[in-house]
Amino acid sequence: MTSELTPQEAARWALRAGLLLDDGRHEAVAMTANHIHCVIGTLRELDFGETPPAFAYRAGRRNADAAV
Amino acid sequence: MQPFELSLTEASRAVRARELSPVELTESVLARIHAVEGRLSAYVTVTADAALAAAARAEREICAGGLRGPLHGIPMALKDLIDAAGMPTTASSHVRAGHVAERDSWVAQRLDAAGTVLLGKTHTHEFAYGLITPQTHNAWDHSRVAGGSSGGSAVAVAAGEATFAMGTDTGGSIRVPAALNGVVGLKPTYGLVPRTGVTSLSWSLDHVGPLTRTVQDAALVLSAIAGHDPRDPASVSGPMLDRFPGGDLRGLKVGVPRNHYFDRVAPETEESVRGAIERLAELGAELVAVEVPMARYVQAVQWGLMVPEATAYHERSLRATPDRYAADVRLLLEAGELTSAGDYLRAQRARTMMRDAWARMFDGIDVLAAPTVPMTAVEAGQEAVEWADGTTETVSDSYVRLCAPANITGVPALTLPVGHDRAGLPVGMQLMARPFHDATVLRVGRVYEESVACAGRLAPLPA
Repeated sequence: MTSELTPQEAARWALRAGLLLDDGRHEAVAMTANHIHCVIGTLRELDFGETPPAFAYRAGRRNADAAV
Repeated sequence: MQPFELSLTEASRAVRARELSPVELTESVLARIHAVEGRLSAYVTVTADAALAAAARAEREICAGGLRGPLHGIPMALKDLIDAAGMPTTASSHVRAGHVAERDSWVAQRLDAAGTVLLGKTHTHEFAYGLITPQTHNAWDHSRVAGGSSGGSAVAVAAGEATFAMGTDTGGSIRVPAALNGVVGLKPTYGLVPRTGVTSLSWSLDHVGPLTRTVQDAALVLSAIAGHDPRDPASVSGPMLDRFPGGDLRGLKVGVPRNHYFDRVAPETEESVRGAIERLAELGAELVAVEVPMARYVQAVQWGLMVPEATAYHERSLRATPDRYAADVRLLLEAGELTSAGDYLRAQRARTMMRDAWARMFDGIDVLAAPTVPMTAVEAGQEAVEWADGTTETVSDSYVRLCAPANITGVPALTLPVGHDRAGLPVGMQLMARPFHDATVLRVGRVYEESVACAGRLAPLPA
């Protein structure tokens, strides 16, 4: 279960991050942000277990705990 | 054959044999730029005088017996995200007005040390944040997109406006325009080529690599630019890359994906790529059907990493001069500010899982072969694609879809031309291997290209 941001909420949350959105942009930014949120949201299906994030990762190194 | 028509390998041989002067070669390429650039807009800046001076220097050195290597005297271009000392790195953006790079990027420094001749800087989709490069026209059909974000580099190579070029690849930005313009593009293993002095789109996903006419050419460039630079925290020392044997493919296991890579692909693209895969089998390879793991999560991981990282990189300028960004890029950067840390961490954790699952997939195969992009170059202005299964997808999402896994997992990925559709537009096949097995994709690509006629041909531009 999740929720979408209204244009006003998007503007408030952007301002919270120090980004002042022009008045005419709230709706477009909210729509885009909601779409991005929806796409990334599929990751909540995954059971990550003990899997750490791959921050300073090196290609080729295996994490012994990873399971799909 | 005019000098601008020579591949890097052919030009290198001729220069080494002193049959061709670097000055002649550079003059020929500059004349070609003059003849076709008006139709293509591949370049942001052409530095003709400096290029001719560099070519003259190369000629003197070679005549004095000081040949530096296979790239000596070869004219090339850099995507305008890559710093060259004293020149602006515009990122094809008004945000960068007045910018001048203080020092060479790693790749510019290495290519300079190899004796190449810098022709100028090529167009990118603004700050690499797109798959179209709208300023630039496809070399095969000027009414169609160049692809992106390294569109300028791909078109320059395809049209003979550069003997080779450099690009960057965060979600396909070398491979997409290379495939759409019928040239070779290599995204090396993550960390193999340092990104020092390259404007970032997404630190987790950015790669630097060459666009060339042939696979053999790409191998020569990779040898010059791979290395370790501690200034790039992702940089690692990889294996020596100085031998790319040919021969046949006996003993090689080529994975053919059962899922993801042939889903929602244009029939002519699928036909060309499956034909090329059959050719690999004829050359001795064993074909193995494989399941690509976690395919459902590719787009989510790509966006979960790229969107917040791009916004973070542009934090200051997005607040100071937002109106200088192009509309599409500005919107993505602003929306990225609303991506949560939780989403970013989920993407990074899923990335660990995907990397490990792909490593297990490569336990059973040596190379994964697939289309590079689902369809050939679309008409400029087309925004969406309708698939036979009734779904609709944006053009950008479609072009990223088959490239993103290699950015997420860091595996080397090479695109090479394998045919044309009925409209004459190029089709690319993508070869991927385990991390740091760049030599494997280059070897397989080279064996394939040696078995087919007319590898490395230029786009047929009318004079």
